[in-house]
Amino acid sequence: MKKLIKLEINGENFDLAVEPTAYLIDVIRESVGLTGTKKGCGIGDCGACTVLIDGRPALSCITLAVACTGKAITTIEGLSKGTELHPVQRAFIDKGAVQCGFCTPGMVLSSKALLDENPHPSQDEIKTALAGNLCRCTGYAKIVEAVEHAGQLLSGEVTHEQA
Amino acid sequence: MHCEPFEYEKPVSLREFESLYAAKGEDAKILAGGTDLMVLIKEKLLAPRLLIDISDLHELQGISFDSRQGLTIMAGTKIAEIERSALVKEHAPALAYAAANLGSNQVRWMATMAGNICHASPAAETPPVLLAHDCELIIGKQGGERTLPISRFFLSYRKTALEPGEYLKAFRLPPLPERSAVAYRFKGLRRAMEIDMLNIGAYLELSEEGQSVSDIRLAMGSVGPTTYRATATEQRLKGMQIDDEFFATACGGVVQEASPIDDVRASAEYRNRVIGVLTRRALEECLEIIASRGNKA
Amino acid sequence: MSKHDFDVIGKDQKRKDGPKKVKGEHEFADDIQFPMMLHGRIKRSDIAHARIISIDTSKAEALAGVKAVLIGSETPIKYGIVPQMPTEYALAHQKVRFYGEPVAAVAAVDPETAERALDLIEIEYEALPVYTTPEQALAEGAVKIHEDNKFPGNIAYEADQNFGDVDEAFKNSHYVLEKVFKTSYVNHVFMEPHCAVSKFDTNGELFIWSTTQIPHYLHTHLAKVLQMDMNKIHVKVTGVGGGFGGKGEVSNNELISALLARKAGRPVKVLYSRKDVFLQHRGRHPIEMRVKVGVDKEGMITGIDYNGTMDGGSYGGWGLVILFYTAAMLHLPYNVRNVRFYARRIYTNKPTCGAMRGLGGVQPRFALESLLDQIAIDIGMSPYELKKKNAIGLSHETVSGQVVRHSEFRKCLDQAVANSGYLEKHGKLPFGKGIGLAGGYYISGTAYTLYMAYKPHSSAMIRVDNESGVTVYCGATDIGQGSDTVLGMMAAEKFGLPFESIHVVSGDTSLAPFDLGTFASRVTVAAGSAVCKAADNVLEKLKPVAAIQLGVSTDQLEARQGKIYSVFEKSKEIDFWKVVEKYIDAHGPLTATGNYTPPRRTGNFKGANIGHSPTYGFSAQCTEVDIDIETGEVRVIRVTEAGDCGQPINPVSVEGQVEGSIVMGMGQALFEELKVGKDGRLLNPSLHDYKVPTATDIPELKTTFVDSYDPDSPFGAKEAGEGPIQPVIPAIFNAVYDAIGVRFTEMPITPEKVLRALDEKKKQEGMQS
Repeated sequence: MKKLIKLEINGENFDLAVEPTAYLIDVIRESVGLTGTKKGCGIGDCGACTVLIDGRPALSCITLAVACTGKAITTIEGLSKGTELHPVQRAFIDKGAVQCGFCTPGMVLSSKALLDENPHPSQDEIKTALAGNLCRCTGYAKIVEAVEHAGQLLSGEVTHEQA
Repeated sequence: MHCEPFEYEKPVSLREFESLYAAKGEDAKILAGGTDLMVLIKEKLLAPRLLIDISDLHELQGISFDSRQGLTIMAGTKIAEIERSALVKEHAPALAYAAANLGSNQVRWMATMAGNICHASPAAETPPVLLAHDCELIIGKQGGERTLPISRFFLSYRKTALEPGEYLKAFRLPPLPERSAVAYRFKGLRRAMEIDMLNIGAYLELSEEGQSVSDIRLAMGSVGPTTYRATATEQRLKGMQIDDEFFATACGGVVQEASPIDDVRASAEYRNRVIGVLTRRALEECLEIIASRGNKA
Repeated sequence: MSKHDFDVIGKDQKRKDGPKKVKGEHEFADDIQFPMMLHGRIKRSDIAHARIISIDTSKAEALAGVKAVLIGSETPIKYGIVPQMPTEYALAHQKVRFYGEPVAAVAAVDPETAERALDLIEIEYEALPVYTTPEQALAEGAVKIHEDNKFPGNIAYEADQNFGDVDEAFKNSHYVLEKVFKTSYVNHVFMEPHCAVSKFDTNGELFIWSTTQIPHYLHTHLAKVLQMDMNKIHVKVTGVGGGFGGKGEVSNNELISALLARKAGRPVKVLYSRKDVFLQHRGRHPIEMRVKVGVDKEGMITGIDYNGTMDGGSYGGWGLVILFYTAAMLHLPYNVRNVRFYARRIYTNKPTCGAMRGLGGVQPRFALESLLDQIAIDIGMSPYELKKKNAIGLSHETVSGQVVRHSEFRKCLDQAVANSGYLEKHGKLPFGKGIGLAGGYYISGTAYTLYMAYKPHSSAMIRVDNESGVTVYCGATDIGQGSDTVLGMMAAEKFGLPFESIHVVSGDTSLAPFDLGTFASRVTVAAGSAVCKAADNVLEKLKPVAAIQLGVSTDQLEARQGKIYSVFEKSKEIDFWKVVEKYIDAHGPLTATGNYTPPRRTGNFKGANIGHSPTYGFSAQCTEVDIDIETGEVRVIRVTEAGDCGQPINPVSVEGQVEGSIVMGMGQALFEELKVGKDGRLLNPSLHDYKVPTATDIPELKTTFVDSYDPDSPFGAKEAGEGPIQPVIPAIFNAVYDAIGVRFTEMPITPEKVLRALDEKKKQEGMQS
């Protein structure tokens, strides 16, 4: 039996009828239509489905949608304002950290969660925070660089133009 | 990935949860973080009729410390909170370390230590440390609770001492005596996102003069159907002087008591070989911690 | 870098798809939805080798929500990426050959219903013996996995090439070393699982959106399997979430989505799970190679003898081509005059092997670079010196007739060695720490098409007008490597316009002219050449117009910085767009095409035309490892790379390719391995148990380019996507030897193997003393 739930996604409320067995990723992608959240493995091993729930990184492919009522969900679509990119997004572009783009949304969200908690992470802290986001294109080096750079952008140590 | 339908309930209080679980416990599974449970359901290894979501029950949240009872960690506390907690870092640093090395950051923000324990995987990260701490489990059910030393919790492969209607409510780690320390060591193929090939938690307490063992606990993971303590070795080590023979007895003992199997992650031969190495390293770390505390004091 | 003065080329360019990708807006196949779209799912065999006796789909068809059920006998047309050797069906027909082979498919209103329906399909099999290794498949009396296979038993293909006189060479050698090497069964693990959406329009034309590297081959396969005219099929490549060769063959889900869409009369999406991806596989061939190398007193290579058995899995795939690639890639980048190559590809009851990054090169490089390292040490020479001595010069013709028109491999060796301090470290680090050197190379631009046709391998069309600007149409496919950016940069440089103003339309068989696809590191050279020629042809049309406006002769004009001007008198200049306007006013639309066909060369031996390439990229790496000798853990600490990719078009992209290659190669060297049970079942088809490197596993990466420019390539460029993976594995293995004195010959080097080898070594040393 479907349940009627209200989900807050990127600050907007959605009234949805979902099965108790429905996973957050499918509801976000299919019912709400936000396809930026990616499914790479379906069982929480790759991190492509990462979203933020109350600011914390979570795996939407093993999270039940019904369990998310009353929580603030942020997907990749909620990070930028129109064409204005979040500094983490900016940094990923500036540092060449994007190749195929499939892991990117999850990677960006994990990075944002890290920087919100720890604005000046060391390289090791960045690697640890991103260990649950697999990437096969970049070898991670430019991603780590991008997150360091994003920290500097966020703290105003450098500006985008200087990049 | 379709699965058999289940219902979902999210009680708003502990009392409501207990009565629901008492009534429907047999067909129900407790959903705390879901990082193990949802994967098992997706892979069709489990087919519960009902999931009871306790993830937001505030009665089950929190970490506290008092000098008599020690460190109390409520069952619903996320692994990531344990990893970051100043209290845990102070009173059980090995637990903070084990927590920090569990799964990925996402998993740590979703999962709870109760889940890590209740799934009773022999490769789980936190049981060796909790066994080393000789942690006490507070087990709840409708209308009551009981305590159980963790050493009596794991019965066999993925089987625990929880009776129908019972749930894990809290962990209590007694205060560490002076001249004691706990250390955790593990081995995976990769540096992160691993199911350990091996892990060990060691507790070492030195006698007053600081030269011999007054108490010791060695808890091993991935070398048998559950995480368990090398109790015979522990007995032999008690009272021994800290010297080469102590390390040789410890390492030889754990290998004797380990009964690993070959699986997709590692061979029994490898596990037998390396469990001794990890044991020695964990004990050396305990000694270092004790020494550094002594220096500070 | 180079002496060439460019405005766009050679400068880090932010890719145009970047903003879309960081916002999650880049459209992948699974992001596509159509009204009334159905979801297809595939019923897979639960037996590795069997005859199909019967399939009963009646219960599945009766399930509410099921709109079509399909089985193999409805689509009994064989196909294969090598058209001369078709071996596969969209759905197993009469026989299954691996555990998890697609046998039936269902289209239903949602994925759950489709999956439920799969459980209702009843299949009766007659079991046949299961062969999971080449030894079993080659055993006397083994059942033929492919009954119509023209080679004996389960040999899929066999090749023998012999150049010079290897036996004589060994007889006259100062030192000869022979070892057996074994490579592992690994998967690409691109992050995006396969997905295809098929839709027929009212006129019966098929539109398919798919994540593929090879829209053209998909196009031909669909025409064959669906028995439709190619001009009624439109292939549209969506975002491709990584390929690495794994999407370089037609995948069953693509054909099945089209077949189900036709049967159900509604659009059908077929998305793979991660497990499906492992079953589709097409990963690297495990090869057991017996390789023998001789050297003279000076360390010059006298001859190479190679005997390899490739475990091909259950179907043909790219196997035949890879077999000959391996032959062609055996001895470069060294000058060797006596080479013997014998190899067989064997059918086994496992998911099929195919093309994976650096195909044909990774396995022989592993063997050769390991052997040369050992030989150098054994004869008391630095491996660097031995490799440098034997390295090919600026240009080279191999004994098999391959022409290398441009090589800076020696510079690669020098630079990697200098930057890493190899000579100060090798043989001198404490026990447990080591450094290893290896070289590698790869083809670039490929000379061979899979079917004999004389049409150009790449073609491009450029349209220039004052309304839409410059649009480059090219059939090449951007799979994340950034080819759209590279092609756009080339057009921008040619026209003297900013990169941002160039539009690139690619990967669409209806819109863009023909291109073979993205594989074998061919795009930058082949499609790049086509784009450059098209741009030259546009300029050919514009310059006379500008010449009249400026009153100068056409041949002194150049297009730069938005102007067309006289190279002799800069003040004689005119705005580029003004010239375009004048041209169109006078002549009508401004378009031009360009195309590229690599030089044809054919030796007089079997397979001679495979592996030839217009040009080649090179690289060398020095890799440092740190081994925990108590637990056996091998940690790669630092990789110092020097690459000859010609002129890097977009350096940041090249670095990304190199870094990705190194980490991927490290995964194969240390952890990655698909494990197969006795019954043919995959034991670890998940990202949980099949371990690719995480961010925490990466070494320090020091990548550099050597000064290089191939004058016959577009803007001097050569490949960078596959060459850099070649040295990774042997460099690690050589470093491990340097660290602990153990020569591993089998991938991956797990902690277990390290401990066992150290025990063995101790035992032998004990016996000696």
